[in-house]
Amino acid sequence: MAAGRTIGPDESSSDRSLDATFVRRRRLRWFALLGLAILGLALVLFSPLIGPVPIPAGVVEAILLHETFQGLLGGSACGAYPTSVRQCTIWAEIVWQARMPAIILALATGAALGLSGGSLQGVFRNPLADPYLLGLSSGAAMGASILFVFQVDLASAYLVLPVFAFLGGLIPGAVVYLAAGRTRAVETLVLTGVALAALFSAFLATFLLINPLGDLQVSFWLLGGMTGATWSRAGIVVGALLIAGAVVVLRARQLNILQLGPDVAYSLGVDGRRVARQLVLTTTLLTATAVAFTGVIGFVGLVSPHIVRRLGGPDYRSVLPLSAAMGAVFLAAAWDVAQVVIPSVVLPVGIPTSFVGAPFFVYLLYRRRSLTGGPRV
Amino acid sequence: MTALATTGAPLSVSSLSVRLGDSRVLREVTLSVAPGEFLAVAGPNGAGKTTLIRALLGLVPRESGEVQLLGASVDSLSISERARRVSWMPQEEPPGDNVSLLDYVMYGRYPHLPPFTGEGAGERRIAKAALDEVGLGDRWHSGAWEISGGERQRLRLARVLAQDTPSLLLDEPTAHLDVAHQLEVLERVRGRCHREGRAAVAALHDLNLAARFADRIAVLQHGRLVAQGPARAVLSPSLLQEVWGVVADLREDPRSGVPYLIPRLPTEVARVQSPAPGLRVHVVAGGGSGTPILRQLWEDGFTVTCGVVALFDSDHTTAEELGIPVATEVPFAPLSPASRAEERRLLDQADRIVVAPFPVGPGNLANLEDLIPYAARVPILLVGEGDWSRRDFTGGAAPGLWSQLVAGGARVVRTPAELVDALRSEPRESVPPGSGA
Repeated sequence: MAAGRTIGPDESSSDRSLDATFVRRRRLRWFALLGLAILGLALVLFSPLIGPVPIPAGVVEAILLHETFQGLLGGSACGAYPTSVRQCTIWAEIVWQARMPAIILALATGAALGLSGGSLQGVFRNPLADPYLLGLSSGAAMGASILFVFQVDLASAYLVLPVFAFLGGLIPGAVVYLAAGRTRAVETLVLTGVALAALFSAFLATFLLINPLGDLQVSFWLLGGMTGATWSRAGIVVGALLIAGAVVVLRARQLNILQLGPDVAYSLGVDGRRVARQLVLTTTLLTATAVAFTGVIGFVGLVSPHIVRRLGGPDYRSVLPLSAAMGAVFLAAAWDVAQVVIPSVVLPVGIPTSFVGAPFFVYLLYRRRSLTGGPRV
Repeated sequence: MTALATTGAPLSVSSLSVRLGDSRVLREVTLSVAPGEFLAVAGPNGAGKTTLIRALLGLVPRESGEVQLLGASVDSLSISERARRVSWMPQEEPPGDNVSLLDYVMYGRYPHLPPFTGEGAGERRIAKAALDEVGLGDRWHSGAWEISGGERQRLRLARVLAQDTPSLLLDEPTAHLDVAHQLEVLERVRGRCHREGRAAVAALHDLNLAARFADRIAVLQHGRLVAQGPARAVLSPSLLQEVWGVVADLREDPRSGVPYLIPRLPTEVARVQSPAPGLRVHVVAGGGSGTPILRQLWEDGFTVTCGVVALFDSDHTTAEELGIPVATEVPFAPLSPASRAEERRLLDQADRIVVAPFPVGPGNLANLEDLIPYAARVPILLVGEGDWSRRDFTGGAAPGLWSQLVAGGARVVRTPAELVDALRSEPRESVPPGSGA
């Protein structure tokens, strides 16, 4: 097909500048990803310092080192720090079995929400889409909370929890998918989602309060938190993130084309409805898995894609992975803030994210169009 | 493209009917486009042009009938196979993201790429070449939101060109374009058809553009195909009257031989068909000098007659166009008794006589001579400065007659507008003698 076109003599220099621009663009995106990865690593290293029990910094890092390379280094978990074996064991337990899983869960959940937000914004061509604002998170939390009605022991139920969360998330997922087929008004879809979120939150609170122990859990489920994180829970979220991430990122090009509307996308060979079904299902699953262990956390999925569009442009091949990275860093940082902002109190992590996200949401409402674009780099 | 089974016409529909809601938008349309052919679809708003194009893409449910792309039923083709056979430039399209123009055009390459692969340098070359074709090549890095409506339209055409399909569907491709780009865009599309053997279907509102660029015009009315064929066979004042309810004059471009239509306002048409009653003014003209006067008087509602002018004189053409009765003479011949008799008949009926500043030679000097008897009976208005140096070819006879008319009470005015004022301000029956000059 290209045989009919000849490359003129002076075209080569313009072609070179064309290619150079694309190389520069790709490099910029990798730098953005690298920068976020470094931030994430810094959070992994320093967040375990934070917590109600004061543990010397040197000891925390020694424990991290010791546990990461188990057995290879030998010696005490606490390194050279003069302390009793019993004290050291307790500290090691706190750092490695409580704080580390929490920070990994925060990173994975943030990535899951960021990725979900990015892909929902693409699917619905709606810059205000977000798993929280569309009611997916609340639906998932309600689904999970059904288990509390039957007083299932949560410690042993962690494998069933995501399944119920997914089933709960499917309700708002289906409603929002159908609503998007009927209206192109950006606000209508979000208002539908917000209404669903309110409804499911009411159900959620009811289900939790049926259980006599549940009232303690209401704030956790409605506003989210990493308390109760374990390695296996964090692992499940990481696993879901990897699988869903592959499904979503492989459809990035189709998402790009879908921005031209379903009809034009169709004429270009993209089945918009199929892509939308697949992605709504995948993001519901991903969001539900995270929500099952962290509760409802708002705005991470809304804010992250907008920030990364400023960094790497509107191409979903960069928006999706960068949103995941941005979401991870955002939520892990929010978790740190939630633990230190009031001494001896751990706030639900949804509080700091809302402090950032809610004003941002209002800002987006009024500056929407100029924000979805970002620079074309 | 090589893999395509090219057993049939690039695009064909047979007895296609489409119902949208309660209304039948297309009724039994049968149409086929050959390779290398550019078909224009015309018709009033709501005639079904857009629906026909969308049906060719398989985007609207059909009530009955068949749509085929290169001999294969559109339903039997996978969505990506369709996208390799036919491309589409819609009338409107969501703004999408603010991606660079080059990225936007590369969307057109999507159906040609294997799944899950990105565009490489080759795709960029093709997209850049398509942008060059529509004149946006040097702005490939601009954002899709940062260009004007007309540029956006050309950008969408570039995407269609990059899609590189044997058939192109264009819905109002010239809607937001200036004249230069209208010509350029349609020339591109025609070139794609004639040089590369592609087939194109374009919905066009401008019949003159359609006549000029398309090989064939199909006319839709209320969802029915009412005419199709080459412009010469299809375009006619009666078709325009029947389908659009517009009266038009058909002309031919002398340079290309292509027919074109001049639509007329209903008021214009009514005036030509039944002249308004009013002051009856006879204009003595010739050599094109009477044209502005005739138009002005006609527009201002006077009942106008004209004479004696030669056939093919532009004054004669103007009078015919405006439906003005005119006394006619054969070109280059002296005024004959017959034409002078006709002229006198018109002069007799006139309430006012206007003399245009026409060049006077021995052949038409009679035009002035014949006025002398009327000077006493009918008010006469002479248009012009009285400068005879450039229009007297009678050796002084014409200026003599002119002076005689002025002496007899004729009034001199400079311009057609001044003439109208003079005609309006003068009471009908009493012209003060010697009021002119």
